[in-house]
Amino acid sequence: MKLGYTIIYVADVPATVAFYETAFGLTQRFVHESNLYAEMDTGDTALAFAADSAAEMNGLAFAPNEKAAVPAGWEICFVTDDVAGGFAKAVEEGCTPVTAPETKPWGQVVAYVRDMNGCIVEIASPIDQVRD
Amino acid sequence: MPIPRGYSEAIVTPQQSRSVEAVWSYVATSSGRGVILPDGRCDLILRFREDQRGTVQPVVTGPATQPYEIRYAAGDGWVGVRMRPERGIAVWGNAIGTAKDQVRRGAEAVTLVPALAELVDMAPCEAELRAGLLDVPDVLAHQDVDARVARTVQQIHLTGGRVSVVELAARVGVTARHLGRLFQSSVGLGVKTYIGLVRFHRALRLAARGGVALSEVAFEAGFADQAHLSRAVRRFGGISPGRVPPELILPDVAGSGQGLFGAAGQF
Repeated sequence: MKLGYTIIYVADVPATVAFYETAFGLTQRFVHESNLYAEMDTGDTALAFAADSAAEMNGLAFAPNEKAAVPAGWEICFVTDDVAGGFAKAVEEGCTPVTAPETKPWGQVVAYVRDMNGCIVEIASPIDQVRD
Repeated sequence: MPIPRGYSEAIVTPQQSRSVEAVWSYVATSSGRGVILPDGRCDLILRFREDQRGTVQPVVTGPATQPYEIRYAAGDGWVGVRMRPERGIAVWGNAIGTAKDQVRRGAEAVTLVPALAELVDMAPCEAELRAGLLDVPDVLAHQDVDARVARTVQQIHLTGGRVSVVELAARVGVTARHLGRLFQSSVGLGVKTYIGLVRFHRALRLAARGGVALSEVAFEAGFADQAHLSRAVRRFGGISPGRVPPELILPDVAGSGQGLFGAAGQF
């Protein structure tokens, strides 16, 4: 098996796609005509959004992503050389700041925000994997 | 579940089906009996004998929490409009608070919903009655829907009923007590009862899909164990586990469009 998709269930798919385009600079590659599903242009492993009601249709039930709710215990991480700029832009476009950019002991710059649906998004500088 | 490009068949989601009043009809081609499982919603129904004038009888139901058995003969027909859960008050007015599991027939039904009066004199034709009945929800007295109750109903369905009343209340910015009052005066049921119905139906549907052990279904649907699930099946289905009538009728609560006659056989 390989990781094919990361699918985040949201109340409003087109609004979330538009939000990710402005807040994180992604581009969409496909929005289904039903507006129940969309994919961002993120390479082989698609970041996708599906409507809450599509999940219900498939028998799934979950704690819906919502700004006012406690976020689910996982995150999306975007990598950029300009974490401070990315963080400022995300907050300016409507993300809720969680932690401002800070440098970790291993040299990586990391910031956290929550997106329009309350999902945790990390913005981090690239890290060179140490290989031996 | 990714939806592929080019798949253009109409997709009706559960949310969409809950946000409109759904019309249904059935004309029996043979005699029999059926058990209708409760879905917590109010229905406006016209019962008739096909091709016999003067047989149209109006029926108005309150939000159901009990299974309901019907017996019918060939040619017995029904058309119905299933109201959105939060629109119980539109049908029952302020009597919604005591409408749980109530049924009004004939003149009593017309007193409750005067717009049914003119349909009673119509020809007992399924298509015409359907068309006539579908107009009734628009002329009911109470048209206002409390957005907090509508959102709470939505939240209960999305979580599959695995959510507390306190949490639901916090999400719409009221106390649990206040949400209880709002819900009762709009849906006609307590929040917990509605939560129970949603969990029960989700468990039935998961079981009906097959391929998963009943103990796993119980866990996923939010029941502590299989015994709890069996108790819910007894409470809302009136069924002893292991004694399921084959003619069980599951209302399409989740709006999946799947026919589920006899689907709960493994209980």
